[in-house]
Amino acid sequence: MSAVTHDVVVIGGGMSGLMASAYLAGKGFKTALISQGDPVCCLSTGCVDVLSPGTHPLEGFDGLPPGHPYRLVGRKGIEDGCRLFKEIMATTTIPYAGTVRKNREILTPIGTFKTTCLVPLTMTGAEGCRDGYTHVISFNGLRDFYPSYITSRLKNTGFSLYDAGITSTLGIATRFEDKAFLEAFIAWIEGLEIPPGKVALPAVLGIQSPVQIMEEISRRIGSEVFEIPTLPPSIPGLRLFRALKGALTARGGDLYWGKAVGSVECRGSMVEAVTLATQGRPSRVQGRAFILATGSFVSGGLFARIDTVNETVFDLPVYVPGPRKDWFWNDFFTAGHPIEKAGIEVDGSLRPTRSDLKNLFVCGSILAHGEIMKNHCGHGLAIATGLKAARICEGFLS
Amino acid sequence: MTFEHCVRCTICVENCPVYKVEPLFPGPKQSGPDAQRFRLDGEKSVDQWVKYCCQCRRCEVACPYGVQVAEIILKAQLKYGEEHLSPFSSHLFANAYHLEAIGSTLAPLFNRVAALSLTKKAMSLFGISGELDLPAFRFLNLERGRRRKGRGRKVVFFYGCHLNFNRPDIGTGIRDLLVSMGCRVVMPPQTCCGLPALGNGDLDMARKYANKNASVLTSYIDRGFDVVYACTSCGLSLVQDYPGILDVEGGRKIAENTYNVHEYILSLIQQGSVKIPLGILERKIAYHIPCHLRALGIGYPATKLFKLIDGLQVSVLEDHCCGMAGTYGFKKRNQNTAARLGEIASGAIRGLGVDAVVADCGACRMQLEHFTGLPALDPSEIIREALQNSPEHRGKTEKGIVRWWRGIKDARHAARTLPAWPRR
Ligand SMILES: Cc1cc2nc3c(=O)[nH]c(=O)nc-3n(C[C@H](O)[C@H](O)[C@H](O)COP(=O)(O)OP(=O)(O)OC[C@H]3O[C@@H](n4cnc5c(N)ncnc54)[C@H](O)[C@@H]3O)c2cc1C
Ligand code: SF4
Ligand code: SF4
Repeated sequence: MSAVTHDVVVIGGGMSGLMASAYLAGKGFKTALISQGDPVCCLSTGCVDVLSPGTHPLEGFDGLPPGHPYRLVGRKGIEDGCRLFKEIMATTTIPYAGTVRKNREILTPIGTFKTTCLVPLTMTGAEGCRDGYTHVISFNGLRDFYPSYITSRLKNTGFSLYDAGITSTLGIATRFEDKAFLEAFIAWIEGLEIPPGKVALPAVLGIQSPVQIMEEISRRIGSEVFEIPTLPPSIPGLRLFRALKGALTARGGDLYWGKAVGSVECRGSMVEAVTLATQGRPSRVQGRAFILATGSFVSGGLFARIDTVNETVFDLPVYVPGPRKDWFWNDFFTAGHPIEKAGIEVDGSLRPTRSDLKNLFVCGSILAHGEIMKNHCGHGLAIATGLKAARICEGFLS
Repeated sequence: MTFEHCVRCTICVENCPVYKVEPLFPGPKQSGPDAQRFRLDGEKSVDQWVKYCCQCRRCEVACPYGVQVAEIILKAQLKYGEEHLSPFSSHLFANAYHLEAIGSTLAPLFNRVAALSLTKKAMSLFGISGELDLPAFRFLNLERGRRRKGRGRKVVFFYGCHLNFNRPDIGTGIRDLLVSMGCRVVMPPQTCCGLPALGNGDLDMARKYANKNASVLTSYIDRGFDVVYACTSCGLSLVQDYPGILDVEGGRKIAENTYNVHEYILSLIQQGSVKIPLGILERKIAYHIPCHLRALGIGYPATKLFKLIDGLQVSVLEDHCCGMAGTYGFKKRNQNTAARLGEIASGAIRGLGVDAVVADCGACRMQLEHFTGLPALDPSEIIREALQNSPEHRGKTEKGIVRWWRGIKDARHAARTLPAWPRR
């Protein structure tokens, strides 16, 4: 049996688990991250929603219900989380802009504006594009992105199509990493004679080095360039995920990817090890402390059956808002859906209440009462609670 | 999980290396679960694009719902292969073991002939890419080499075709490493794991190979041996395909008793008295994680050994498929895809300022050496180098055969100085 003891084992490789493990690995703890698969982050816009969609991200803080996870981390915890996130991202090829004091605007693929808090540098140019001309560039055959949606909604815009020789966002993004392709593309724009203003593209400007590619285009054509997030497969989401994962390995964290935790070993009130459901002999990962960040229903951290909702790793008690008839709505992705409240209830140190496990801390969208869609707090909540769990773990271990 | 569990989230698509560069391949979601809804047993396949999938299994590792995307596609590939005449190159590569055995027997001649431009043109007629050099063969392969027996834990070393025919030096190195840790290492007759045959659409051939190996391996397992592999594709085949799609007798037993070599060494260190005297090694390396090591889901055990070596700086790269995928990249049909992916994987390495690329898979090493121009090493070579730098061995810089002999002598010495592993 392969037995390796870590200081801390984080289960779930989403925004929350990645933040927690990157923080702890950075502090020199022997950290392992286990994940069954890639997280919801890969489907997201890559922008971090913190809370209210108005001008100030935290203006809705006081209106949050008493059990909301943000109440446990406080305004300062949210601020610290966002700061650490930006610090980590600044060490990667996709730095972020923004603060928790003011929301920013990004342009959506349907020509509307969306407010969000922390934004990758490639999307910041959307701000102020209402004031001048914006030229949208899309690609022949690219599905899921229609520039005419934008030009019909947004005044003072126009568009052109480029033939990239491949029609998927991933394929085009890959080609942008190729010098020859980039040169040909720039030469083509230069020949377009676009009116002065900004140039907007779907988010396909490379996978590894988008900022570099954006700046190169911008420098050569003399206009500000920015990206518009697209439907999944979402390149900015993929970039964010890969950059955070890379930040973790750069800090010495160990990855176990692609297998779910199959079983857990506890002695008394301590978790001692978890076992991965590998095809052969089960792999056992030992730790002194554990962080549970397996996400909500979408990622499989919670699983709804006809009569109950289960937590899939430790079988922790799950808070459910009343009997099934109260929460069984047809459309899962609606803000205010009652099942959004479901999850694990925790105490002030993020230990699950109604469980006597002492070295287990819970963070991210698996927490009860988060109501992520209603409160616009997806990545923000994952980041802030991830950092909080990591800090508590740090204290627990030392 | 079957195709019915797919929620069409597209996460697998984001991870497919072939989809990134090959416009003719619709990606894992469409060729896997989506198309599976329309595939009927009695009907002939119409989805010729499934052959573009290189079976890296990245889609499967990424899927948050555990859908066996790559296996769905593999089955479609096998079905397609059965119904259609496959190109000559597929038959050749399905039989890679015998091809390599000939190459090794006639090593000096074969290596020269393979390098001729006329040979490359001829290969091209048979659907083999002339872009890449075929691997050089060694006459003194592991099959012909001597077996080495220590006294402690009993290990069957499944060395695989690449080490056997092309890099027996790495194979003997690993054997000596295990012996130095007190293991009794045997290398019984063995053949190709079967993965190349599977990848070239020949299930029967794959089963034939697998059954041959299975009877040998299970007989050793029954006598208290552990199976240890170094090549991560062989490992994946033993652990995943033997009990899975190949369904060989004893497959489950093999899967349960098979270890990655670094995982094994770690467990020896972890469990008790064995210490390896690793010296300082001032190197900066890029560790390219082979797709099939990812697919094994055992983490990256060699990285944990690297952390025990002072002075060693390691960048772990796990987001790229090198494009070679066993014999995939050698086919003319795939040569552009393989080259583009090789370029991308190498691009990620070049910027790091490393002095070598390290990978557990022979195919990755060939490909990355070709594209980065850096030496490509097996993780065990780094560990052996660190062992040689330990205080007892510092300052010895022999070359060639002297160094090879020295290596063995050192390992013997290390074996003597180590506390013996308790017998089972
Ligand atoms: C389609 C979509 C788009 C979104 N877009 C945005 C956006 O643009 N901005 C924003 O701020 N928020 C967005 N959100 C919300 C946000 O993405 C999530 O709330 C947040 O990322 C959740 O992070 P997490 O770490 O809690 O969990 P997750 O990201 O869900 O990660 C959980 C991880 O745990 C793993 N896991 C589950 N079970 C096991 C197990 N048994 N063993 C091992 N591993 C396991 C999963 O594979 C997964 O990788 C979006 C959500 C969705 C669904
Ligand atoms: S990742 Fe899994 S669930 Fe998502 S589309 Fe692919 S196979 Fe379906
Ligand atoms: S196995 Fe690899 S090449 Fe095949 S579909 Fe999956 S990710 Fe793509």
